[in-house]
Amino acid sequence: MSDIADTGREGEPDRSGERKSSSSGSSGVPKMAEGRIVRGTRPHDIAVHERKNWLIHLHYIRKDFETCKVLIGEMLQETEGMCEYAIYVLGLIKRQEGEISDSLELFQRAVTLNPNSSAAVKQVARSLFLLGRHKSALEAYNEALSLSPQEWEILHNMGVCCIYLKDYDQAVERLSEAVSLSPQSQSYVQLGRVHLLRGDLHKATEVYKTAVDHNPDSPELLTTLGLLYMELGETKKAFEALGSALTFDPSNARAILAAGAMIQDHGDYDVALSKYRVAAAVSPESPQLWNNIGMCLYGKGKHVAAISCLKRATYLAPFEWKILYNLGLVHLSLHHFASAYHFLRAAVGLYPQSGQLFMLLAVALAHWRMTMRIPCKVIRTALTP
Amino acid sequence: MDPLYMANSLFRRRRFEDCVQVCTEILEANPYDQAAWFLKLRSLTEQTYVDEVDMDEEGIAEAFLDDTAIADVARPGTSLKGPPGTTSRGLSQGIRPVSQSGRPLSGFVRPGTQGGRPGTMEQALRTARTAMTARPVTSASGRHVRLGTASMLTEPGGPFVDVSKLNMSKYSQRPALAKALFEYLFHHENNVRAALDLAALATEACQFGDWWWKIQLGKCYYRLGMYRDAESQFKSSLKHFSTIDMFLYLGKVYVKLDQPLSALDYYKRGLEKFPNNTSLLIAIARIHEGLNDLDSAVEYYRQVLKYDSTCVEAIACIGTHHFYNDQPEIALRFYRRLLQVGVYNAELFTNLGLCCFYAQQYDMAISCLLRGLQLSPNDDNTADVWYNIGHITLAVGSVSLAYQCFKLALTSNNSHAEAYNNLGVIEWRRGRGEQAMTCFQSSASISPHLYQPHYNLAAASEKTGNLHSSYSCVKKSLEVFPEHLDSAELMKQLQQHFAAL
Repeated sequence: MSDIADTGREGEPDRSGERKSSSSGSSGVPKMAEGRIVRGTRPHDIAVHERKNWLIHLHYIRKDFETCKVLIGEMLQETEGMCEYAIYVLGLIKRQEGEISDSLELFQRAVTLNPNSSAAVKQVARSLFLLGRHKSALEAYNEALSLSPQEWEILHNMGVCCIYLKDYDQAVERLSEAVSLSPQSQSYVQLGRVHLLRGDLHKATEVYKTAVDHNPDSPELLTTLGLLYMELGETKKAFEALGSALTFDPSNARAILAAGAMIQDHGDYDVALSKYRVAAAVSPESPQLWNNIGMCLYGKGKHVAAISCLKRATYLAPFEWKILYNLGLVHLSLHHFASAYHFLRAAVGLYPQSGQLFMLLAVALAHWRMTMRIPCKVIRTALTP
Repeated sequence: MDPLYMANSLFRRRRFEDCVQVCTEILEANPYDQAAWFLKLRSLTEQTYVDEVDMDEEGIAEAFLDDTAIADVARPGTSLKGPPGTTSRGLSQGIRPVSQSGRPLSGFVRPGTQGGRPGTMEQALRTARTAMTARPVTSASGRHVRLGTASMLTEPGGPFVDVSKLNMSKYSQRPALAKALFEYLFHHENNVRAALDLAALATEACQFGDWWWKIQLGKCYYRLGMYRDAESQFKSSLKHFSTIDMFLYLGKVYVKLDQPLSALDYYKRGLEKFPNNTSLLIAIARIHEGLNDLDSAVEYYRQVLKYDSTCVEAIACIGTHHFYNDQPEIALRFYRRLLQVGVYNAELFTNLGLCCFYAQQYDMAISCLLRGLQLSPNDDNTADVWYNIGHITLAVGSVSLAYQCFKLALTSNNSHAEAYNNLGVIEWRRGRGEQAMTCFQSSASISPHLYQPHYNLAAASEKTGNLHSSYSCVKKSLEVFPEHLDSAELMKQLQQHFAAL
């Protein structure tokens, strides 16, 4: 934000003294009188191009885009497209309206007007990034970096571009630099993502831990940290993180789901179900949620309700083999071996790498009073990895 | 035997063509035989008689150039127009698929209510799943005109009654003849304006005291598109006398005026006079369905079934409701009932197959779907059956078979958007991003009312880093389905990217 404020203030009289001579000749300027008290010196001594920057800025930060656009149009007509700040703001507005290619053009124009403005170069790079042209974006960021080194934002964005280009080493380097300049949570999130993409859980956890130290009240960070701890098997720490996430945002669906799953693991089904009830109001179409509810009910011995919930889950996510696995399990315990066989077979079709699945399949077949030869064969497949 | 007696008997036995022939012979012998003339008039009318109470087709012209609706932006719950995606009560789009207008899929396709009212001309012309439009251009070109021309064919010696030479005021003085003549003009000749003249004169002749003529006036006004006049005629006839028809007509007028709540009001008043009348109950259920209030709609359909256990529409709608409420076993019972009632088509067998599958009766499911394939009358239907088979194979875990099924659905109907979408998902799972994107794109362009392809496209673009196109897609997805959580979350993420400096 600081960039805009600076440019916006340029229109104020402290700079006007320098250009006095150049603009004193024009007489038709005193349009500005409405917003200012004219005292002694007349306002027409402000540099013409930047005269209304403050007004544009004011409208822009109020999100009054329509007025802003009209004003910018007037300004550009008056200055024949030479007003850098107006072009810059128009670019920002266009981007927020979703017209990235237009905004890219505008920022490029701003750069040609003032090639030393790192803000404009940064915006060009950002537009390129949003358009998915990561290589060009990276080049533009390099340029911006040469204009203003030591800026965490540029480094952060370079890191993100590297992630998209799958250059993870470079990404880690850039993001670490960015973090060392300014400990921003988004840089931490991206850094954690890189580690996760590389499959390095421990490092990712470390990163998130430092991120949480810097931003102790962000439910998103806390939830992710909790999930990572869960993955690492450190239940206590995970529960702590998730608990604090829920104190900050009691309706965070992800956190509720994770916390509910942990409570469920401890066999406290009623508490878990009450947690899930909150989550169901927020995201009624989450297959994971319905799966967990189903397994909760299974734990409580309500088999029919469990099956109904699990079926809804698999209706919502037909590719999730774990739900099918659970369905098979519930049917097995109900002694519905044929149904169990079908669900387990479907799970095997989707994910043939799990030995456990084959085991259950074999159990189902064995109980189904078939000749023992087939289950044996299935078990043998399970044993050969 | 006396030929007139013979004709009368034929008429009573509903052998109208023979009756007309006999009457024509009598009239050839004696052109001034009024009894024969009257009988011929009646039997010609009976041949083309259509119950006006029935829902009629809403054409593009009516739907789009609709200037009778009161509010352009109606308050929620007071308009049948309903912007797509406002599922107020009942199930969300994630569970129950929607029809082209963004309304939950109904169990029974009926004219008028199926399409909803389109917002733009483009939307009006385009139909889900087909390259052609499902709406007739205007309802006047539907059954009415066809009936008009049919009358010409049956009359080799010129038309039976020359409408332009009729002396309306003379006939209007004779009530019995006038009524028959009116029906002839309205139904057989399809000359609404002449019928209106006659009705106006006749109602004057009986000092505005006959409710029958008022209804007929209302019918004429309705046919001419003057809904407010029709409304006042029906209302005034209701003061003299009440029949079930009157309430149904009034409801129809209010549906045209897009005032479903007034229609409901009149239907309920009708129910007070005629308790448990199934036509009124069905009409109420239809309106509730149009207002996306599926639970109450099902409630009324249940009442219908109490009094008429063979009502196909009610059975089908309740069955669909149960199916999408995770009760396939109960839905199966309703669909089996439909089979008993005598419905025997591809759609029913497909539904039966799906219910059997979700109720875990696998052997039945396959045979039902096979029967569905055999019975399907056209490519569109075949595509739907293959699409459903694809779903079942997915649930059984054989992805490659599902892939084949969706491909087959597309060979039958090249604009099956849902199949394209699912094909895209499978391609994406197989790691073929480019093909997947193409599939999503074609799906989204064929039916923009589905939120899934938009969201999939957005998610895929986000993964590949093209945030711009992702943003525009997720915006569309949220337009169609504002409550979709994943879309909303993606939107939030993207907006952060866009607003950041």
